[in-house]
Amino acid sequence: MQHLDPDRLVTLALGESLTDADESDHLADCADCRTELDAMRHVADLGAETQEMRDLPKPPDRVWAAITAEIAHDKNPDIVRLTDRPNRSRPRWLSPLVAAVAAAILAVAGTVTVIRLTARPPAPAVTAQAALAPLTPAARTAHGDARVLSDDELQLDIRNLPLTTGYYEVWLIDPEDLTKMVSIGNLPDQPDVVLPIPQGTDLNQYRLVDVSVEAHDGNSAHSGKSLLRGTLTN
Amino acid sequence: MWSVTAMDGPDELAERFRSGDESALRAVYDRYGGAVFHLATRALANRADAEDVTQATFVAAWLGRGTFDPDRGGMLGWLLGIAKRKVVDRFRSAAREDRAAETVRALPEPAKPDETPERVLDRLIVADELAQLPPEQRRTLELAFYDDLTHPQISAVTGLPLGTVKSHIRRGMAALRRRWEVDGAAPGPRSAGHTRTW
Repeated sequence: MQHLDPDRLVTLALGESLTDADESDHLADCADCRTELDAMRHVADLGAETQEMRDLPKPPDRVWAAITAEIAHDKNPDIVRLTDRPNRSRPRWLSPLVAAVAAAILAVAGTVTVIRLTARPPAPAVTAQAALAPLTPAARTAHGDARVLSDDELQLDIRNLPLTTGYYEVWLIDPEDLTKMVSIGNLPDQPDVVLPIPQGTDLNQYRLVDVSVEAHDGNSAHSGKSLLRGTLTN
Repeated sequence: MWSVTAMDGPDELAERFRSGDESALRAVYDRYGGAVFHLATRALANRADAEDVTQATFVAAWLGRGTFDPDRGGMLGWLLGIAKRKVVDRFRSAAREDRAAETVRALPEPAKPDETPERVLDRLIVADELAQLPPEQRRTLELAFYDDLTHPQISAVTGLPLGTVKSHIRRGMAALRRRWEVDGAAPGPRSAGHTRTW
């Protein structure tokens, strides 16, 4: 007997039973037809299973945010990455130490800011500002403003951030290339704060103000979890 | 603005992606993020693990965009191949951490024992190809797959001549099979002459 007809192979693959003795005999002898039928059956089985594959749910928004943030450090390691990520292999006792060092640095930075503020004449010029709007449902009641003072400080007034066991960090991001960002500093536990903008930061480029929630994991890179964002305008 | 980029043909999108256009990454994510996430959620019981795998897949795809070769298969197959490897990595690292800690913890076990990442991947590929078939061809195949109708029954339901139904199903099956052979994962049966080494 010659090989099975392609149409016949399809109907067999789709579940029709073998009734013809010649067909059965041929299949028993012919490896090619058997292989062919097996492949068609597999495809038919897969086809029958595809019914549940329509309108697959999209991943949650935080996955995309994490992707852009992670791509950011790979592209611009000097700006945002001090340690490699993920850091699962790091001994756990290191994390509190790193956090403590970070806190000490912050304390110094905070002192510097306060000294600079007190030395400053009243009502510094606001050169740009942004209203900050929530980016995730978790922060839906959060809101705030950012003002650039004399092009070298960022004054933030932020309310109703969700509780966290970590801390909040402020970034300036290039909205045309979300992989480019500059960390401005961490938010202390008070609504109104002024953070110095690193010298040489082009605010026409880095004009997207971003507040992220970060874990005390010794990882200086953006967590990908942005809570608030707003674009600076003059 | 994504709606504009999402209208690109697959080739144009792949080209923009390979050239490092970040808006193409977003378009690729919009188009295939659901499939990658589905593979991860089906393969891993823990949803957080599935999100991590989805993230790792697109990051790896972006960083390795130069290695995507459209001549060797489609972008969905390429992405799902990366996702499958990330799932396997996740199994291995969990097993390693577990041994190191010498504790019994919740490993990311497969959601279903018989639901291998390869099977899910193959299904996603076949579903994607099915969705791209001409409407009438797709409809006849759906009636055969989902409703178990025979060719004459499909002919009666659709009003198409029996010969047309046969040729739709034969061509549709051939298209699904070709795509599965190019982009599928499982080292399952391949027709003679198309056998690949794994």
